This record gives sequence, C-alpha cells and structure tokens, in this order.
Amino acid sequence: MVFLSQLGPMAEFALFSAIKVAAVIAVTLFMVSYLVFAERKIAAAVQDRLGPNRVGPFGLLQPLADAVKALLKEEFTPANVRVVYYWLAPVIVMVPSLLVIAVIPFGSQLGAQKMVIADLNVGILYTFGIASLGVYGIVLAGYGSNSKYPFIGGLRAGAQMISYEVAMTLSVVPAFMLVGDLNLSAVVEHQAGGVLRWLAIQQPLAFLIFLATAFAETNRLPFDMPEAEQELAGGYNVEYSSIKFALFFMAEYANMIAVSAMIVTLFLGGWTLPWFGLDLPAQEGEWLKGLVHLGIFLAKVILLLLFFVWVRWMWPRLRYDQLMGLAWKRLVPLAAANIVITALWLWWRA
Amino acid sequence: MAAREKLGFLRQRFGAAIIRADLTSDRRLYVFVEPRSVKEVCRALFRELDARYVITIGADDRPWSGCFMVAHNFAFDRDRLLVSVMCLLPADSPRIESISDVVPAANWAEREMRDLVGIEAVGHPYPKRLVLPDGWPEGLHPLRKDVEWDEAPDCDESGAGYDFDDPPEGCTVVPFGPFHPTLDEPAHFRLYVEGETVRGCEYRGFMVHRGIEKLAESVLGYNDIPIMAERICGICGCVHNVAYAQSVEEAVALRPPPRAEYIRTIMLELERLHSHLLWVGLACHIVGFDTLFMQAFRVREPVMWIAEKISGNRKTYGLCVIGGVRWDITSELSDELKTVLDKLESEWHNVARAVKNDKNIQRRTCGVGVADASVVKEMGLIGPVARAAGVDIDCRRDHPYAAYDRVDFRVITAQSADVWGRLVVRTDEVFESISIIRQCLARLEPGPIQTPIKEDLPAGRFGLSSVEAPRGESHHFVITGENNRPRRWRVRAPTYQNLQGVPSMIRDAQLADMTIALGSIDPCFSCTDRIEAVDVRSGAVKVWTPRDLREMAKRAQSGRHIKDS
Repeated sequence: MVFLSQLGPMAEFALFSAIKVAAVIAVTLFMVSYLVFAERKIAAAVQDRLGPNRVGPFGLLQPLADAVKALLKEEFTPANVRVVYYWLAPVIVMVPSLLVIAVIPFGSQLGAQKMVIADLNVGILYTFGIASLGVYGIVLAGYGSNSKYPFIGGLRAGAQMISYEVAMTLSVVPAFMLVGDLNLSAVVEHQAGGVLRWLAIQQPLAFLIFLATAFAETNRLPFDMPEAEQELAGGYNVEYSSIKFALFFMAEYANMIAVSAMIVTLFLGGWTLPWFGLDLPAQEGEWLKGLVHLGIFLAKVILLLLFFVWVRWMWPRLRYDQLMGLAWKRLVPLAAANIVITALWLWWRA
Repeated sequence: MAAREKLGFLRQRFGAAIIRADLTSDRRLYVFVEPRSVKEVCRALFRELDARYVITIGADDRPWSGCFMVAHNFAFDRDRLLVSVMCLLPADSPRIESISDVVPAANWAEREMRDLVGIEAVGHPYPKRLVLPDGWPEGLHPLRKDVEWDEAPDCDESGAGYDFDDPPEGCTVVPFGPFHPTLDEPAHFRLYVEGETVRGCEYRGFMVHRGIEKLAESVLGYNDIPIMAERICGICGCVHNVAYAQSVEEAVALRPPPRAEYIRTIMLELERLHSHLLWVGLACHIVGFDTLFMQAFRVREPVMWIAEKISGNRKTYGLCVIGGVRWDITSELSDELKTVLDKLESEWHNVARAVKNDKNIQRRTCGVGVADASVVKEMGLIGPVARAAGVDIDCRRDHPYAAYDRVDFRVITAQSADVWGRLVVRTDEVFESISIIRQCLARLEPGPIQTPIKEDLPAGRFGLSSVEAPRGESHHFVITGENNRPRRWRVRAPTYQNLQGVPSMIRDAQLADMTIALGSIDPCFSCTDRIEAVDVRSGAVKVWTPRDLREMAKRAQSGRHIKDS
C-alpha cells in the first residue's frame, strides 16, 4: 500500500483504469461463454431435451471445449473474398460491444474508486455512437464475403440497425428529460429511493420500446433477419469459419450483455436496490456494501439475459418487411409521441 | 356408369377417332385415340368435362406392337373414375402434338417423356431438358428398350452445363439450392430477385433421379419391385410400395385378402401420421420457431418406434408383395399401437393448439405462397395444397383402395389457399388418421394376409393406382409384361405436380417467404453428381468427375453383378 500512496494522480488513474478494464473484459468474456452454455441448457429445457452434458459435471466445461474447438479449427479463407474487409469484419463486430460497457456504472464505489471505467458526462451519446458502429462489421462481412447470401444479410443488417437505432434513441429521450442529465451515473442516482423511482415504472412506454429495439440491435430472434439460417443459410457469416466465425458468435452475446447492462442502468435502477439503504452509494471503507452493489448489478444483468434467451425459444422469426414496418410504423411514432407527452407533462408540472 | 357416360360423350364427339375403348371396371377407362385427335380429346376432358390432369406416360412398345405409346391420364374425382387417353405412334417418327398449352400441368411430364423415351411433344411451350443430367448425349433415351439398364454413356464434361434462361431486366439471380439448410434434398431454384422481392424462378432438379423405373423394367421381378419402389421416397415409401402392388393387382385382377387390406390401410395411415408430424415440425423450423420443431419431433418418435416393431424399420418399409402383405399385426402389436395412438392424440391436441393460436405463425403464413383453386386446376396440384385451396379431393375417398371404403373419415379442407391453410389441413388430418387406424384395428378379422399366385401373371395388361400419400396423390401406371416383370412402370409422386405450382406461389413474394412457400408443399426430391476434394496445404485440387464416380461404382459392383442372364 505504500507503493500506492507514492503514485502521482495520473499514474494512479492509469493503474486503476487498467485494472478495471482488465476485470471488466475478463468478466464479460466469461459471461459470454457461460451465456452460450446457459442458452443451450435453457433451450434444451424448453424443448424437452438434455442439452450439453458430456464435458465436465453437468456439461459445465462445454464452453471451454467450444473455445478450444474454434481456435484449433482450420483457418480458411474462401477464394473470392475481398480479403481485407473479410478479415476486418469480425474484429469490428466484436470491439464496439466491449467499448459500450466502458461507460456503464457497474457498481457504486470500492474503496476510493468509482465503479465505472469512464465517467463521461455525455455517456449515453457515447453509447449510441459506439453501439451503432457494430453494424459496420456486419455490413462489411456481407460485402467482403463477395457472395449473395451474406450480401443480402449485410444489407438487411444495415437497414434493420438504422431503423431500430432511430426508435431506440427516440425512446430514451423522455427518460433523460426526467433525469435532466446525460451522465449514466446521474441516471442511476435519479432512480434511487424506491422502485417507483425506476425509469421502467416512470416511463413504461420508453422501457418497452427500448426492450423491443434491443432485440433488433442484438440480432436475436425474433429479429435475427441478417442471419436467418432458414432463409439466408446464416446470412453475413456464411463464408466464415473457425475463430472468425466464433468472433461473430461471441459478439452477438457480448452485445446482449452490453445492451442488458444499458437497460439495467437506464431503466432498472442500475446497481441500486430500494431496501436496506442499498440505493445510496457506498462510502470509502464500506467494502462490503460496494461488493453487494456489484452483485446487485450483475444479478440484474443476468436476469435480463435469461429473459433474452427465453424469448428466443418462444417466438418464430418475423419477416423482413414486417420488421421494418414495426420499426417505422409503430415504434418510431410511439417513441416520438412519448417525447411530446413527457415534454407537455414536465411543462405543466413546472 | 360414369365411365360409360364419358365414353359415350367421347364417341359422339370424336367418332372414328376413338379406335378402341377398354372398360376394365366401373372405375377405369382406357381409350385408344388417333394420334392427331389426342390433343382435342384431352381438351374436351380437361376443359369441358372438368377432369383433373394426372400424368402423361411415354412408353417404348416397339418389341410388341412396333410402336411408341403415349398415355395421358385424367381423373374424375367425383365419379371415382380414372381415364387413360392412349395412342400409338409409329416407330420411325415418335412425335405427338403437345397438350401443354391446353393442359399446363402436362409441362413437365411431356419434357420428361422426351428426355427418357424420346417422344417429341411438338409445339411444347418450354422444350428444355428436365430429367437428364447436363452433358448427357442428345438422342440417347434411357427408357428405350434398346438401351441397356447399366449403359453409362460418355457425357460432355466440357462444363458448359445447363442452359439457363436470362433473368428479367433489373433482377439479380440468387441461387437457392442445391445445398441450402432448409432443403433436405438437392434441387436448384434460380430465383430472380429484385431487392427482397422474388420476381420469378427457374427450376433445375432431378439431381437424384436414380432410374428405378428402368431397373424395374429390365432387371427386377414383380416382387422385387416393391422393395425398390419404397426407396423412391425417404418419408412415404409405403405409399409407393402399396401403389405399385395395387396397380399390378388391378392389371391381373388379383384381390388381396381383407386382412391384408386393413394392414395396408393401417400402415399408410401410420405413415401419414409420422409424415405430417414431421412436416409441422419443419414448418415451424422454417419460420424460426425451433421449440415447436423439437416438440413435434418428440411427439412423433413413438410412431417410429411402433413402425419399427411392426415392420422392422423405423419407417413403414418392406410391407407389400403382389397379392398381400409381408407383416401381420398381432394382437400384442395392436394393443401397443392403440396405446401409442391415445398418447399421440392427447399430445397432438396440445401441439395443434399451440400452432393454431400463435399469432406470429399466422403472420408468417397467412397470405403467403398462395395457390388458389384456378392454379390448382391448371397445374394439377394435389393433396393438402389443393385441399387448402378449397378443392375437395382425396384419393382415399374418391378412388378408394385398400380398406378405405370400409372406414369413416372426414376430408379436411380450408379456404385460404395459403401456407396457413396447408398447416391447418395437415394438423387436422392427423386426428383423422388416428381415427382411421382405430377403426381398422377394431375390424381386423383373422385370416390370411396373402393371396397365393399360382401361375404366371398375364402380359400386356394395364393397371392404374392412385394412393393418397401425405403429400397428395401418388399415381402408378403399369403395363404387365413377360419374364416376371412389367414392360412399363411409371410413378408420378405428388411433389412432381406440386413443384410446378411453386413458381406461381412465390412470384412477387418476399425472399423470406420462399422457404416456407416451398416447404408448404412438403417437397420430396433424392445423388452425388460431382465431388470436389481440395487439399489446401499442397494446393492440389482433385476433381472427381462423374466418370470417376461411375468407374468407382463399377469397381464396387464387379463380382456381384445382378444383370439378368
């Protein structure tokens, strides 16, 4: 600890940021692998099957086996792809989902450290900016593969993401009008003091629209048009194999985690719980409380993830034109109307 | 009665052009017509008498009559009548006027007739190769009697391939198949796509044509053929098995004992059960609803187990011989079957309710892949596709065979003419099948299961048999022959007609609806024509040509040559 007190403020910031980054990435990737496992187990339970149960007790080591398999598979590049884009695409898909998590406050305080990697005062703008980069990876994969099914998948992804981005962004505006700040930590503070303060309760319409668009953003059933195995044979990832395919696969789940973390922060009170004074940040020295906050946040995220998984096995896929219709004819007007109503209400209250 | 009326009508109308007519029973009419009048006779049957087109058969009859033979088969479903319009063509110019412009449903059959038998349909609107592979030499027609059954000609392997049409202006070609996750068998659709909208398509299939008809006409014996016939289809083998046996039995006037007829009915309905259960699962899978897919397969599994107990195969295979069946259903099996049916019925109620009440499935299937009654008539569509369009046809009731005239059942129809209608029809037919099997089990009397055949089957007789497969009418045509085998055996599987309706189902539809529209006819296609093996590390490419594969097959076959001596 002597060593710590000798550090200058700059060096201390760099050190703790690095630790936080490493920890968050480790936790996220661990969650990705076990989320896949959970998905397979839950799917099996829904469908009266057993699911993976051969590797380790209850199949718990399956993610490990999957990872080894993906890494050791032959690295194959089809003959007619546009090589640079083809290689770049999986990376571009993976990175944004990790970057989004940087501004999410995943706890209150541990010791003197705020539990957020970058406490940006325009956090939400950053989030949307980065999150929308993810689609470039998919569009590039579709273009770089130089093949028809991936191309259609890429185009669908482009159109879908743009449409749903609009609805998603519009849907959170009323929430921020209530909070009066774009900083995500401020959003969490606003929701302290009882379940009724949660934005999911105060802004149910915004919450539901955001939830629906989140499924589209993560390319999950019922909105997995760009993949659409039964129509496009896998869409943008048809030409990919081994670790490059695994990156697309992991990106989907990392995206789910990022989006769940966002929903928890924006609408479900972040790391707070309205009982036992857990809605107030931990003070310096309250290590236990800080840890409990971390646990609360993780638990909320996991519950939401399980909801994502459950929905996938309960719904058939929508058709592409139905999906676009839903975005532009239902969600966007609803979200816009919600803004106007909230504004009117705030104006009347003032 | 009906047969005499139709014959009277034709005689009055065409007079001397009707050379001969055979009325083998009230339900079969064979009319021999002058070749130049065939088209008009077909027009009169199809347009004026509103017959349903079944199939066109070409046969090489030169060793016996010195002629080629063409038969156009039609069905009068209300009158329980099958009509065959036949004509003989001179051996030196096997040409006949095409009926495809009058009966659009004959399009494929006439192309096939040219490919396989070499009978030219003059004036055909789309005379492209249908069955034979790319590069197969022109002028070699495998079903002619002077072509050996194991003839393997040198194909043109320059790679020129099939001569596809040009896509319409502004459209992109998206290849659908031969390999695609929702195609269980190889078939190729060239989709013309504009954005996400399909404007048209061209079909190139028959990649798994195995020449079973040729084998039957040249190598096998009467009682070998059922075992080959059921290999035509991976799902509804029993249908072909029964249909073949029935067509021979009809040709030689042999009647299987009642117990055999009940057993055939039970097995056919078991087959319908597992086929429909499979289809509902696949349809759910195609729209991305894997949970119901898994549930449907779970519910289906006991049907496969009981089929295995009865026949020794998970599918209902190896059932028929001429004049009866090979397996008996003992009282233990009967009890077990009843238990399976009870469980299936209660479970299927749940699945059917889940499927029918799901708003999203409705959204994906209502108004999709529409083939209305006029398309059904023009393209000769059959089975659940026709019934979903309100066309009330079902061979089990219209052309009763086996024990179907002794059981009660409803023919399920729908009016919506779309994928949703087909889904509802198939889901409800499951309950009817369960009821039919129960009735059969209740009436199963003790007795023999085969009628012994004491002498050689007479040659030169015709036999027709229509069996309602899960996918629609499966139609078999047989001309009996010498050497214990038929001279000509033509199989028309239901998908043969239904596939011809697919282009009109997907025209101007969304690309996403292609798979479910195609899936809704429950297509049944089945061969490897070319394998490419690439060694990436050395960069060496070894292409297995059709010739290599044929050589390999011949090597494997030497020593156990089954050619007749």
